[in-house]
Amino acid sequence: MMSVSGIHLTAIGCGDFLLEPTRSLDISKQGDLIEGVIHRLQRTKARHLYYDLAELPIIDPVYYRWLNALARACQAVNVQMMTIHMQPTAAFALSRSIKEQPCFRSTHDVALRNESYAD
Amino acid sequence: MTKKTIQANKLLIEQLKLQIGHISGVIETQGQTVFGASKLMSKDEITDFSLEFLELMLVLLETTDPLDHQQSAFHALRAFFGNMSKQIMARGGRMEDFLRYIQFLQRCLIESLEEDHGMKIDEMRAILLLLSAVFNELTLSVFQAYLEEKEGTINAQQEELRETSTPITEIWDGVLTLPIIGTLDSSRTMIVMEALLNRIAAERARAVVMDVTGVRSIDSEVSHHLIQMVRAIQLMGADAILTGIRPEIARALTSLNIDLGNVTTRASLSDGLKEAFRRLGIQVTSAKA
Repeated sequence: MMSVSGIHLTAIGCGDFLLEPTRSLDISKQGDLIEGVIHRLQRTKARHLYYDLAELPIIDPVYYRWLNALARACQAVNVQMMTIHMQPTAAFALSRSIKEQPCFRSTHDVALRNESYAD
Repeated sequence: MTKKTIQANKLLIEQLKLQIGHISGVIETQGQTVFGASKLMSKDEITDFSLEFLELMLVLLETTDPLDHQQSAFHALRAFFGNMSKQIMARGGRMEDFLRYIQFLQRCLIESLEEDHGMKIDEMRAILLLLSAVFNELTLSVFQAYLEEKEGTINAQQEELRETSTPITEIWDGVLTLPIIGTLDSSRTMIVMEALLNRIAAERARAVVMDVTGVRSIDSEVSHHLIQMVRAIQLMGADAILTGIRPEIARALTSLNIDLGNVTTRASLSDGLKEAFRRLGIQVTSAKA
């Protein structure tokens, strides 16, 4: 397990990484956080990043901007970011506030994503 | 409060206390005729009601200002009638009968005064005004309680209708269908979305087929809600497939400049299901093959 301030980044095999935000995550330092995460993803030749939203009942526009920024940075280094465990309350609130398609995709969890699912 | 009203109170209290047995008996008999015959209230309930009514009436008249609607004695009498009317309505009684019974109670109190020949016209007038003011207020309260009850019933029925008009069915493992019939206003969208998103989470659904064959017309609000639902489904990690868009709806969407470019659409529910199965890697074949 590797650690960026406020983030637990765990390699879960086959180029997949699990990102679990902690309570101490400070998204106002977005630039430093993105740099730290991308550095680690590149070093380990990651292909997918799963961002765990299980502990977030609401995603406000500020947090959404952070997710989008991280997803765009991941795209830039050929890593696909997917959110997992999105709470119904968060999805509901977010669907009302966003106007465009998010830069990340969502899936239930890592196990489901790895099942044979023809896109 | 005027001197005349205070005098009227005292006289009314005296009359009530003097004839309480007689008044109670008359009220009870009438109660039996109105509510007992139709089995809306038992004999014991009617007796209790008569006694409680007279007791609450006396408490109200003994206050310094019986017409003060803010005081607890008035609240108690109003609550008593409100509860009783709810009880009668819940048992299938008619509002009209109950209101007539309240009028009868008023008449009964007035009639008890007529037997006192020594009462002056001024005193009588003040008592009548007092009684009519109190009973008018009670009638209004009962009517208000009745309206609240009716409104509650209508709201509950509307709620039930909303829920049953958008049944969410798991048609296959991980595939949900949501037929939308009628229109999608904000309150209905909220109800449907809450149920749908919780269902996606609970069933770990991977595809949701939303069928809008039953949507008669579409405006910018409805289309906005549809897109919002699609987005919420995708955020939950499921695929949204929109089916049954009729030509007039397609035309309306174009006029409204609604872009469904990011939404998977299919002509019919059947096609939508096929698409969901394809995405899940499910093949449905005939048993004979």
